[in-house]
Amino acid sequence: MIVSMTRVRILGPRERLEAVLGELQDMEVLHVAPPVTLTPPGGAPSAEVPEAERSVAATRKRIEAIGWLLERLPTTDGRGRARGGLPDREEVLDDLLSRLHRVVAALGQQQEGRSRERARMARMRELLETFRGLDTLRGRSGATHPYFLIVETPDGSAVQELREGLARLLDGGFELLEGPPSDGETPAVLLVPGDRTEEVERLLAGAGIQELPLTAGGADATSSPDERLEALDARLVTLRRRLHRLGRRYRAPLEDCLQAEHDRLLALETRAGAATSRHAFVLQGFVPEDAVRRLESRLHERVGPTVVVERQGREEWQGELAPVVLHNPRLFRPFEAITRTLPLPRYGSIDPTPFVAVFFPMFFGVIVGDVAYGAAIAALALLLRRSSAPDSLRRSIAEIAGACAAFTIVFGFLYGEFAGDLGRRLFGLHPLLLDREEALVPFLALAIALGFVQVVLGLFLGAISSFRGHRRESLGRGLSALMLILVALALLAAVEVLPHGFFTPAIVALLVAFPVLVILEGFLAPIELLSTLGNILSYARIMAVGTASVMMAVVANRLAGAVGGVLVGVLFGLIFHVVNFGLALFGPTIHGLRLHYVEFFGKFFSPGGTQYRPFGHWRPEPGPPSNPSAANAARSD
Amino acid sequence: MDMFWLTLSAALAIAVPALATAWAQSRIGSSAAATLAEKPELSTTVILMIAIPETMVILGFVVALMILLQGGA
Repeated sequence: MIVSMTRVRILGPRERLEAVLGELQDMEVLHVAPPVTLTPPGGAPSAEVPEAERSVAATRKRIEAIGWLLERLPTTDGRGRARGGLPDREEVLDDLLSRLHRVVAALGQQQEGRSRERARMARMRELLETFRGLDTLRGRSGATHPYFLIVETPDGSAVQELREGLARLLDGGFELLEGPPSDGETPAVLLVPGDRTEEVERLLAGAGIQELPLTAGGADATSSPDERLEALDARLVTLRRRLHRLGRRYRAPLEDCLQAEHDRLLALETRAGAATSRHAFVLQGFVPEDAVRRLESRLHERVGPTVVVERQGREEWQGELAPVVLHNPRLFRPFEAITRTLPLPRYGSIDPTPFVAVFFPMFFGVIVGDVAYGAAIAALALLLRRSSAPDSLRRSIAEIAGACAAFTIVFGFLYGEFAGDLGRRLFGLHPLLLDREEALVPFLALAIALGFVQVVLGLFLGAISSFRGHRRESLGRGLSALMLILVALALLAAVEVLPHGFFTPAIVALLVAFPVLVILEGFLAPIELLSTLGNILSYARIMAVGTASVMMAVVANRLAGAVGGVLVGVLFGLIFHVVNFGLALFGPTIHGLRLHYVEFFGKFFSPGGTQYRPFGHWRPEPGPPSNPSAANAARSD
Repeated sequence: MDMFWLTLSAALAIAVPALATAWAQSRIGSSAAATLAEKPELSTTVILMIAIPETMVILGFVVALMILLQGGA
């Protein structure tokens, strides 16, 4: 059901506006409507608008800065969590945030640089080991000078270009040895004559090729590669610890500050929606009907009698502007997940959730209709429910699956099916309603009958939904529904399910209704009626998919007896049942949804509603924890 | 001979819509893949779009069944 809304106008003295906003933010019931314009004598104070815009911009900037810091500061496990908050004064807070930004950015840059260097060093180490002793060669003769290079070359062309450049420069008097490329970088060792180093270094600098500060034996002025790696690791640990310390000191206060700043931004934005004069303010919006009294009494108690909540009559506002909030009984609520995959219904139209809650699991049950499969779906639903959080999409899916399982088991008994015909063979399970293997036509009639009921219901709902605004359309839909009933009566009388006496009156009534329908809905009405009949026939898919499902199950059972030994047969049968079960989960869901969205909703559903978003406190979007890698790194320290 | 025509009719009643459905689904499927690459949130709509042409083959199945049942096959 769509919750009834009341449009209210809150009026009061201007100096009470902040207090009113505070109460409204705590109550979280007012969906603020577009601002009204007040044209009081003297006009609104003009200096306030740029001031408010400046405040909004400053708050947004602060939120962005805090978000940036929270992304980079590691999470802590609560131990040593700082208790103190951040400064209240905006200038002091901004200054602190700016300083933190500088420190964290510098630490991040250092970390990134060291990590990159470490990765290169680790790759280079293997190459260095291969050429261990080259430095001694240089030490002995001084005739050869080695360079240890990292060539950035995603496609390998840069190494080739370097080789060509060196060939031109040294006339072939060099040796260039490449290591295996990784991440677009190729490590290489270059040996050149000792007296040509200056020219070579110019060439390397011109090509933008980096040199590692090492010699072949791994001994540069200070350390070997292993020692260098150790030093880099130690430096990285130190940097992580510093970040961790900052996280422990500032993360919690920053999170509190983020909440406060978001709340402040929401209040500023709502304040911008209020019309103000020198002495008064007006704020208007929508409140759920049952919360209006609560709002009135709270503002009266907390802010004072000078603030008035005025209810506006329905004739003063258009229903389409009102926000939509769906509220259904506990049993139907999970099915809102199905409705919500489409845009929200317009305010004043009909929420299809209760009908979906009845028809969707029923269609699923009619299609699958097997006690064993139903039990398996129930088990899966139970598992999914246990692993899901309350009010989550997973929980809704689990509960929908539970309802589908219940209908599947019920129809399984009605069809006498337990894993196809296995129940009949093993423990004499007999159909109570119809045998789907044999009674194909009755099953088709059942499917079409279900379609008829749902489509006619949809037409009646459409007639009710459009009655207030579009009388002609409403009458047209009602008449279409009536004509469908007459067609059904005539057909049933023709095949003698009903007494033959019904046939002539039904045909006469149809002939009378037809021109009326054309007058009400135009010349396209007959085509529309034919399309509606097509919609009903589309429900034949219930029978088609259901028959395919039961036939697959029967084939699975026959395989068990027909292939090889007992064990192999049972295994084959079981695999076939698992495949059929997978199809039984997927096919009926898709077809059930399609029947609802296309055939049923098309008759009455009117999308385009606005989501109800009451002015309240900010809540972070649920999602993965921020900066998990930083958190893990901090824990590993 | 009657049985030959009966079964041929039933086979055609399902085969032709099945081919038509396959063609329609291939077109919708390729467009759907492109759509999902840009807007993954449209997955529900896309799945429904793919299911829409199945009406043809389902009605073909029903007609084939009717032909066989009415013809006494």
